[in-house]
Amino acid sequence: MTIPGFIIKNAFRNKRRAALCVLSVAASLALLVILLVILDFFVNPPEDVGSSLRIAVRNKVSLAAPLPVRQRPIIAKIPGVEALTALTYFGGNYHGESSTYFAQFGMEPSQLEAVFGEAKMPRDQLEAWMANRTSCIVGADTAKRYNLKVGDKFPLVGTIYPVDLDLTIAGFYKGTTDDRNVFFHQKYLDELLGDPGTVGMWWIKARSAEEVPGVIDRVNAAFANSSAEVLAETERAFQMDFISMMANVKSLIASICSVVVFALALVSASTMSMAIRERIRELSVLKALGFRRHELFAFILAESFGLAAVGFILGVGGICAAFASVDFSAASGGFLPSSLSATPRIIGIAALVAVGLGIISSLAPALSVSRLSVVDGLKTLD
Amino acid sequence: MLPLLKYHVRSVFVRWRSTFATIIGLALVIAVFVMVQSLAVGIEKTSANTGDPRNLLVTRQGALAEATSVITREQFNIIRYLPGVELDATGTPIASGDTLIIINLPRRDGTGNSNVMLRGVAPAGRALRPQVSLVEGRWFVPGHREVVASRRLANRFANLHIGGQFKTGGVELTVVGIFDGQRSAFDSEVWLDADEARSAFDRPDYSSMLLRAQSDEALAGIRRTIEANRRLKVKAVSEVAYYKELTRTAGPIKWLGNGLAIVMSIGALFAAMNTLYASVGARTREIGTLRVLGFRRRSILLGFLLEGALLAAIAGILGCAAAYFGWNGTSTGTFGQETFTEIVFDFQITPFLIAQGITFAIVVGLIGSFLPALRAARLPVIASLKAA
Repeated sequence: MTIPGFIIKNAFRNKRRAALCVLSVAASLALLVILLVILDFFVNPPEDVGSSLRIAVRNKVSLAAPLPVRQRPIIAKIPGVEALTALTYFGGNYHGESSTYFAQFGMEPSQLEAVFGEAKMPRDQLEAWMANRTSCIVGADTAKRYNLKVGDKFPLVGTIYPVDLDLTIAGFYKGTTDDRNVFFHQKYLDELLGDPGTVGMWWIKARSAEEVPGVIDRVNAAFANSSAEVLAETERAFQMDFISMMANVKSLIASICSVVVFALALVSASTMSMAIRERIRELSVLKALGFRRHELFAFILAESFGLAAVGFILGVGGICAAFASVDFSAASGGFLPSSLSATPRIIGIAALVAVGLGIISSLAPALSVSRLSVVDGLKTLD
Repeated sequence: MLPLLKYHVRSVFVRWRSTFATIIGLALVIAVFVMVQSLAVGIEKTSANTGDPRNLLVTRQGALAEATSVITREQFNIIRYLPGVELDATGTPIASGDTLIIINLPRRDGTGNSNVMLRGVAPAGRALRPQVSLVEGRWFVPGHREVVASRRLANRFANLHIGGQFKTGGVELTVVGIFDGQRSAFDSEVWLDADEARSAFDRPDYSSMLLRAQSDEALAGIRRTIEANRRLKVKAVSEVAYYKELTRTAGPIKWLGNGLAIVMSIGALFAAMNTLYASVGARTREIGTLRVLGFRRRSILLGFLLEGALLAAIAGILGCAAAYFGWNGTSTGTFGQETFTEIVFDFQITPFLIAQGITFAIVVGLIGSFLPALRAARLPVIASLKAA
């Protein structure tokens, strides 16, 4: 028998235990990956291609306070501003729902391509949207979820604004990092509200990345000490601000990750040492035959390593397959975006944990074997 | 024959080395489950702690939260003088028009900004909410740009201590007092004078109004009158009922807690099965002896299930204890989905939650011990007696 053959035979001698051990490692690694993906989503939200050029402008008081329309021509004239649109969060509920999971924004359709260039949609649909004031465009994920077609009615009940939108779908877009959002005409909302002369935010596209800091300073300065002071920041900073509002939830998930890793190490280490304890007599025989300590250690290490590796492949492979096929957004009630995926970094972390697990769980048994005197080992019953 | 209770109970402890890791592993699962669920309970309890059954809260129709509601002064005056509204000693109706403003403030620990609810309250508004009491400093004086912050918010945000100042919307506000809301939703607010709030933030209207009814019947009567008046376009709910609904933030947390518990318990389940299989294997002779003594297969099965349940119950108790002594009552906060501001609440580990945690552990223990127990029960007597 070759040495690898010997190790494999040993690992799967107690098939049930090997299987249970592999499965518990797999379940724990799968959970670790899910948690890391969620954490990553909070700490490091997905970035759009155009993200580095975009600037979000909100009322300095808070996101909930509106901005006056009169700011638009002033911003448009600021050097470095290439395009600009109003962006008003409507926060309505899709008819019949009590908490709708996708966001809806009022904006200027003519600016869609200039500001949010990564949102791809057929030319005719874009034109149809621009032409019809009460129409909207819907992200591909939301369209799929509700099984929507062009021309469908899309009613939204206002919760922040005292009006309901009676929208018709003009088209579908995809290609942004969050293809769930719905966009409609800012003008339509203004009309329903009786022209209040306010918008939610301004969203700017700068001419180049170098000009972004300058544009931010100039926008902030333009309205300093006015009745509606603004806070302009990069789209990234705006997102991070939003995420920092999650407050303690973030650190909670991080600490759960470490608990999972610890529980995992504990359980598989105990299983491994159980397997070795059972074989003390055999290992003594090997020792008596002249195998050296480090060779025995290598046997044990290879065995626990192999089990951890199989667990890793099953667990991480399984969860990656699940990411591809399960709609996590629906399962979590809209808490998570629909397209989750494990980045290479996360898979790397899981692999490292698996390797660490292999080493840790072989340490204790290896130590006891190396200390064992041959005579004592041979005397051991069971 | 019943299983040999003493034998099985002691077996769990005799092999403590191999069961130890399993117990700790399962205990961690339960601790995580209880801890995460206690967050959701904390949010719900904070909501349930708020409100007075005699109070009626009036908001705009369709508004989900006070902050997005608008009550005009005309509406305020019509509703204030409806019959059934309690009058104070001077004969004025006890009603408060509140103005809510969401402001963005830096955190105390420098980890960014978050939204905070600023509530403009009339003197009647303070009387209507007896839960809120001043614990430090003094109340704001009308006509001054002064605020009183909740103690819990003051612990989380910069400049909310007494004497602290912050600028928002072109006004500089000074903190002159600290209040305690007795674990209600008001613990997530900063208060200032109602008229001051409207002038400082240029709001002609109120956001919501709160009034005291003379009796339960009067409260129902006012509600009916308001709802029958189509022109008012407002919605009146009892304050208690309004706050009870503000628990949407708890939804995803519950989801997270359940999801975590399920996946983690699968891992723990395999570990428990492993331990119990090993235990059955090592005790083959003992099981054979029990059978010879006349114990039936089903009492062996029952006995091993009992072992699994006992092991799991210990783990459950340990896990709950860890969660309870580690977190119960600790204050924490996150973004409130309805209020759009930071909400402060406690980890609340209730007896019900502990019962849930221990039950959950026992279920895992029973499932995990079923196959090993079946194996033990099926061991052939003669062969097992011969086993080394």
